[in-house]
Formats: sequence, structure tokens, C-alpha cells
Amino acid sequence: MNKKLWLVVCAMVAFGALMAYAEIDPNKEVVPGVKRGDTIIIEDPTGALTNPDNFNLWTAWAGGNGGYSTGLQQLAMDTLWYLDPDSGVPRAGVKDQTWHNSLAAEKPIYNKDYTQMTAKLKKGLMWSDGVEFTSTDVKYTVEIQAQNPTMLFGAAFKVQVKSVETPDKYTVVFNLTKPNSRFHRNFTVRWNACWIMPAHVWEKAVKTPADAMTYTFNPPVSIGAYTLKDYDKHGNWYLWQRREDWAKTSIADFGKPAPKYAMYLLDLPNDKKVISQLNHDLDMIHEVTPEGMIQLAKNKWETNWFQGFPFGHPDPTLVAILPNNAKAPFDNVDVRWALTLSLDMTKMALASYKGAVTMSPILFPPTGTSRKYYFDPMQSFLKDFTIDAGKAGMIKPYDTTIAQKIADQARPSFGDAVPKDPEKIKSMIGLGWWKYDTKAAAALLEKNGFTLKGGKWYKPNGEQFKITLFNWGPDRPTLQRLTTMIAELWTNFGIETTALFAQDNGTNQNLGQYDVYMGWNIESWGGHPDMSYFLDSWSSDYYTPIGETHNGRNQIRYKSAELDKIIGEMFKSDFDSQKNIDLGLQYLKLTTKDLPEIPLMSYNVFSSQDNTYWSGYPNFDKPYANTVTNWSNSRYIFTQLKQMLPPK
Amino acid sequence: MSIRDVFSKVFLKYIMQRLGQCVLVIFIGITITFFIPRLAPTNPVEIKINQMMNGPAKIYPEAIAAFREAMNDLYGLKGTIGEQYLSFWKRFFHGDLGPSIFAYPRPVSELIWRSMPWTIGLLLSTSLISWLIGNLLGGLAGYHSDKRWTKWVELAANCVRPIPYYIFAFILLVVFCFLIPIFPTTDAYARGLKEGWNLQFMLSVLYHTFLPALSLVLTGVGAWLLGMRALVSNIISEDYVQYAEVGGVNKKTILGQYIMRNALLPQITGLGMSLGSIFSGALITEFVFGIPGMGTLSYKAILNFDYSLIMGVSIFSIVGVSVSVLVVDLLYPIFDPRVRLN
Repeated sequence: MNKKLWLVVCAMVAFGALMAYAEIDPNKEVVPGVKRGDTIIIEDPTGALTNPDNFNLWTAWAGGNGGYSTGLQQLAMDTLWYLDPDSGVPRAGVKDQTWHNSLAAEKPIYNKDYTQMTAKLKKGLMWSDGVEFTSTDVKYTVEIQAQNPTMLFGAAFKVQVKSVETPDKYTVVFNLTKPNSRFHRNFTVRWNACWIMPAHVWEKAVKTPADAMTYTFNPPVSIGAYTLKDYDKHGNWYLWQRREDWAKTSIADFGKPAPKYAMYLLDLPNDKKVISQLNHDLDMIHEVTPEGMIQLAKNKWETNWFQGFPFGHPDPTLVAILPNNAKAPFDNVDVRWALTLSLDMTKMALASYKGAVTMSPILFPPTGTSRKYYFDPMQSFLKDFTIDAGKAGMIKPYDTTIAQKIADQARPSFGDAVPKDPEKIKSMIGLGWWKYDTKAAAALLEKNGFTLKGGKWYKPNGEQFKITLFNWGPDRPTLQRLTTMIAELWTNFGIETTALFAQDNGTNQNLGQYDVYMGWNIESWGGHPDMSYFLDSWSSDYYTPIGETHNGRNQIRYKSAELDKIIGEMFKSDFDSQKNIDLGLQYLKLTTKDLPEIPLMSYNVFSSQDNTYWSGYPNFDKPYANTVTNWSNSRYIFTQLKQMLPPK
Repeated sequence: MSIRDVFSKVFLKYIMQRLGQCVLVIFIGITITFFIPRLAPTNPVEIKINQMMNGPAKIYPEAIAAFREAMNDLYGLKGTIGEQYLSFWKRFFHGDLGPSIFAYPRPVSELIWRSMPWTIGLLLSTSLISWLIGNLLGGLAGYHSDKRWTKWVELAANCVRPIPYYIFAFILLVVFCFLIPIFPTTDAYARGLKEGWNLQFMLSVLYHTFLPALSLVLTGVGAWLLGMRALVSNIISEDYVQYAEVGGVNKKTILGQYIMRNALLPQITGLGMSLGSIFSGALITEFVFGIPGMGTLSYKAILNFDYSLIMGVSIFSIVGVSVSVLVVDLLYPIFDPRVRLN
């Protein structure tokens, strides 16, 4: 290379370094009049909105394609209760930190037969226009939606609520159409819930019930600690400003939210969000690919859930293989077990998340408080659990060494970031999973009349055993890689498997027109052991045959009288009772035996935070909130942050 | 071509034939676009229900069933596919593309008109610039093929040409937004600016759209250049060019009148086609750089199975391409006397 060219290259590198350095400036403006040092910049993974002027998030079309997480539900909305998916913000004198009485003053109060629920409301909370929040707002929210079944909670309220009474300004009584011990779920935030409307604003704008569907609620009147300051007419960003009277909102239970402004950026492809954070233009990333995470984690200013390997926050969502239980041969429990034992979790973990997984051998997400309630108590059952594998005899399929194997194989990629302490490895990667035992898997198939010819399995009727394995589509690369590995493992075992990546959004699944699906249908509260969140629609009352749409989460079409009994008991028991947890354990034992679907791992979200302008984000050691930014519970993070570079 | 020629019976017949073909293509195109999404195994209501099941509303089977029924009613998906098709044409002839399903109740036409200027601004300018530069350089490179600089130009074009425009976009993004961070990574103009025909806004748009424009121009130039160079290389060995050179005709005249003019004919057709296709946008470029154009809109429409919006965007694209081809067909006699003769 000649001298001139060298000079040009050196000048470019120096200029680049200078520009990169110059990026850290708390006084630069993110929009005119708003300084970077006062602003937290957050990713909203929704994608740019087609109707950004619409703030009516009680409709299914808010913002055009899901404009809930623009800061609107996190910072401006509120409802009666919040349940944190992790351990919640520590509060002096509060025993259950995951539960927050937000607009409500206390927990829901049910009558004896669960046909009535009473909510006591907090006093002195104010809407951003200076009007007090009262029971009238809650009553209006329910009644206007019940008249419009296309609104998000309209159908639920129409079906469940007989009437709403407001005996005084701070009490709401819901009379229910039938016993329902979980009615409060409508007003309890997991990632969101039914937000309360300002009745005084809506009554003025909505003259007929149908107007509620087209009313844009712009500008939104806020009951949260922030109000809308500005937004992009093309739906790429939203800017929120802390209210002067933030102390008159429910977040004041936790202190003052630190950032004066919060900007939510939408529509950031993976590479762009990595570049933006490397340039310190994006403080909180909702999710990046494992490769992006590794790149970001090299920087000292970056934090993530585990402060290193395995990086990702385990969402209270169980990634699983979902066989169609109504279709032969997947209706046979031995076949489902054969499919399980022909899978190598170590390979699946490395292929999908490069080993950074949190695996689960049972049908429940291994996250939040679930280890205490379910995973630890299930260990003795799992270790003793046996299955009759025909000529392979009675086998004990549970393997507690897998976490260590995954850690060992991940070490060449991640080095010392992978812990060596076996207990730490187990708490990060999981307590165990099912053995990779192809001999037992083969014996289970043979026991049911399957035959192996030329390395391929044939069904008892002589047809070759082939599987089409559907995946949800292009937007979750980790699951795509996982699907590919599963197809490879089954094909190697002799079951010819075709992986299909179709963007059908679950329609085939709901109709039961599939062999096996990769995805999830089990999600939990995270911070609470109650299983009704996903289990109610598994009751055989809602079972539909193949070809008819299933309205719920039992797309796998699993039917069990024993499960019906558990669900029935669950809905008759109190949400916080020990009986509810015992019923949960019964469900786990039953589904381990029947294995209607194959549990794999939690959906780990690689969220990344930049500590240059703000610090104090939640992590594995301080798990006070979920780090994913589209959850409305992320509002709690604002109260725990510390401003690092105040502008002059 | 005289006025009399233009209005001659033969030429009128030619126009009518081309016009008829154009209308038929538009009709078939729109019909196919109407049916394809409806024959897919999903629909917008099911997508919305699945989004709800994974998020906003809690799952109550009875409530989901009631929601499904109400949404089908609201979106006009209750009738047979034939009834929906007839109703579509009825609305179409009244200039009504209906409300977007996912941006309900916002009209589709409003969404398109909001996105269209961004796509036209980006793609019209880059298409014309790359066409002009590419053809000019290609013509010169073909005619002066023995010069050293033409070899370098050709080599550069050969390097750029096979790179897909979106890969180029990513390369520019990494180089100029990260390694040398002199361009912004997001937005089509500075945050907080209000859209309007003023210098501050225009400069901001130029600054924010420079990289996407550059990615399109560079890859476009490569393609036009190589095409033109190949055409010129063939024409240069034609007898009439050789005779002109032997006859001492001025070199500029030979290049401009004898070679480039002839070589331009297929390039004009190509330009027409590429101008027509700008109505569907440069999807990935728009997505990568956050340009709120037709490509981004199409992406969202397809992702959400927004039937009305898919139809709206496709109609513009089909009409755009068909009309461009028609215009090129009608203009061809001006450039090519052989067409005029036939």
C-alpha cells in the first residue's frame, strides 16, 4: 500500500474514532429542547406503526399493528394490579413483592362462590388533566367495552360480567355471570391487562358505543407518571415526559422515576439496534440475536440479565414441541416419548442459543419463582420416574448431567464467562432434561409395531413415518435454528422430518391441521405459581376435533379426564392458596407421564442495556423486573435507575 | 413522425391494441392479487386473535369465539369470496379502497398517499441518476474500450453489479453509521422536525436519505453500465459505424448519433419498467434505513395479512408497471423508425 493510501486510511480511522467518542454527550439534543442526558432511549420491538396517531389501545388495532408498547402502556396507562414476572422491587414491610396493588388499594375480594369480585381503589390518584381517578372510570371501562365485542376486552366482559356497581368513589363491585375465581386476571398485568379509561374524557368524545372503536384518544390523558410530549407521524418514535405531579400516580409507591424523558424507538432491524447501542444512541434493547448479544457483551458499559453467559432473560414462556395429539401416531404416548428420547438437548441448546439456554423437562416455564414452587419439588418425582420401553425394559429417562455438558461445550465459545460452579450452572441452564437414548426410543416404537428398514422407520400399517415440523416463521432466528436441529436429529434417528418455516400465525395450529409444531402455548405469570393463565382452555369442554377452530391454547388437542378434574378444582380454589400450587404439581406429574407436548426451554430474550447515561437495570442478582422493554411492568425499572451523566 | 402519422388509422389501431392489453393486464393482476391472500391458510382475524393470545387479552375460549365473530363482521369477511370480490370492484369504481384492516379505520388510500412521496422521491431520483450515469459511462467504456480508465470503471461495475442492493445498504450502514459514524442510523429526517416544503426539512431529508440513495445508485449504475457497454461493443462493429469512421465522420457524432442512440432503445424499455416498479418501493432499503415509503407499507401489509392494504399497494404497483410499459410502447416509434414503419 502506498503512503498516500495509508494516510487516507489512518485519517478515516482517526475521524471515525473521534466521531464515535464524540457521541457521548449528555448535552446533545434528541429532539429540540430535550437533552440526551435527561432521556432514556428504549427499543419498542413492535415495528413502525401504520396508524401512529391512534392511541386507543382498547381496540385490537391500536397504532395500526399493535401500538401498545410505544411507552403508552408502560408509562401512561395503569390498572388495578400488577404481577411481576421476576421477583419485584423490594419494598419495606411488603411480603409478596411480586404483587403490586396499583390503582387498587388491596387485593381482589371475592364472595364465597366467586360470583362477585370487589375492588377497593386508592384515593388521591390523578389523571394528567387534573381529574381524580375514581370507580366511575373502572365502571365506564368495562361497560363501554362490553358493548363493543371487537374491543380487546369487549368479548371477555360481555361474556363474564352481569353488572358493575360503584357503591362509592373508591369501590367497584363486579357481578359475574358465573363463578370465576380468576376474574381479576382481566385487571392484573403480566405484560399488560385491561387499562382503565378516563371516563370524563371518553364520555365527551364517544357519543354512541360504536364511536369507541374509532376514537383515537389523541392526545392520551395519562394516569401513569409520564405524558406524551411528541411523536413521529410515521410511527418511528414516541417521546414521553415525566409528569410534575408524578407523586399522584401509583408508581410513587416505589419512588420517583429517574428519567425526565423517555424515547421509544420502533422499527429497528437487528444490525441497526446493535450499531445504535454501540454508538450510545440506544440505552435499552428489547432483543438481539445471540451474535449481536456477544458483540455487545464485549463492552464494559454493557449489562445483560446474567452479566455474562448465558446472557438472556428467560421469559415466562415455554418453548416446546407441540405434537397434534388428535392425529395418529402422535396420539400415542409411547411415540411422543420416543420422539423425546431421540432428541439430544446438548445439540439443541448449542444450535439454537449457542448453549445459552434455560431448559425445562416439565410443562412449565423455568423462570421467575417457578423453581421454588415447582422445579425443586418435582426433582424427586423426576428422578424416580420410569417408563416401560418394551424390550429396553423399564428406564429412568431423567438426566441431571445435561446442564454440565452444555456448559462444557459452550466454554470454547464463551471462555471464562461460563461458570464452573455446578450449582450456578444448574440455576442458569436448568436442573436436568431427558436422556438422549435412541435405543430406548427405538424400543418404544417397536413396542407399538413400528419397524426399522434401511435406516427408516415404518408405521404399523407399512407407511413410512414422516413428520412435517412447522415453525412460526422468520422473526425468531433462535427458534428457526432449533427447529432445524430437531429435524436433523429425528431424521438421523430414521424419522424423515421436513422443517417448514411458515408465517401462518397459528391458523393451521388452531385448526389442528398439522403433525408437529415448534413454538409455545404455555406461558406463566412468572412471579406467581398460578397456572390458570394458560390452563383454562385446556379443559375438554373446549376441545375441538381436527378441522374446527380451537379458541385457546390447547391446539395440541390433548384430552384428559384427570386434567379436567385438576382445572375444575383450580378454578374453585383461591389464587394464592397452597391448594392452587398442589394442583399445579398434580398437573406437572400428569403431563410428565402423558407428555402431550415436549418441553424444551424458556424463550430466552437477549436484552442489552447501556450504562453510559443510566444504570441500575435489573439482572439475575437483582431480579426486580423483567428487562424486556415492551412489557408494561418495565415501568418499575424507571424508579430504580440512576442518572450517570446529567446535562449542564 | 408527423401529426398525420400519429393519428393515422394504423397507429390508432396500435394505440387501441396496446391500451386494451394494458387494461386486461391490470384487471388480471388485480384479480390475482385479490384471490391469493384469501386462498392462504390464514386471515387477518386469525392473526389478530393469535396476537391477542400471545399478548393483550387473557384467554377465555367463549370470549375468543365472540371476538372472532364480531371481527369477521366488522372487516366484511362474512360473505362468500365471490361476494367480497364483487363488492371490491363496486368500491374500486367509486375510488374507494376501503379502510385498512390493521390501521382501522384509516383509509388505505390515505396510507398510500402518505407513503408514496417518500418512495417516489427516493426511487425516481435514484433510478434516473443511475440510468443517466450508467448509460453515459457504459457508452464511453464501450467506445473507448482500449483506454485504461475504462477498464477500471468496468472492473468497479463488475464488482458492484453482483452485490444485491440490500447487502450494499448494510455495508454502507456499517461503514458510515458505525465505523465512521457521520450518518444517522434511523429516521427519514431529524426527530422533532415538522414535515413541510422548507429548506431545513429538505436538507434534513437529503442527509438522512443519502445512504439509501447511494446504495441504490451505485448498484443501479453498475447494472446500466455493463448493459450499455455490451450493447455498444456490438454496435461498434456494425458496418454503418465502420463506414462512418472510414468516411471521416466526427467521433462525437458517431458516438452520439450512430452508436448511443441505437444502443439506448433497450435501455429505454428497461427504464420504463424500472420506473413503473418504483410504486412497490425498495422494500429492504426502506426497511433498513427507516424510510416510511411503499416498501415499508407493503411489508407491514403482508406481515399482517391486511387484505385491503395489500390490494391498495398492489393496485398502484400493477397500474404503475402496466402504464409505464404502455407509455414506452407508445413512445417507441419516436425513437425507433423501424417500429414506425411496421
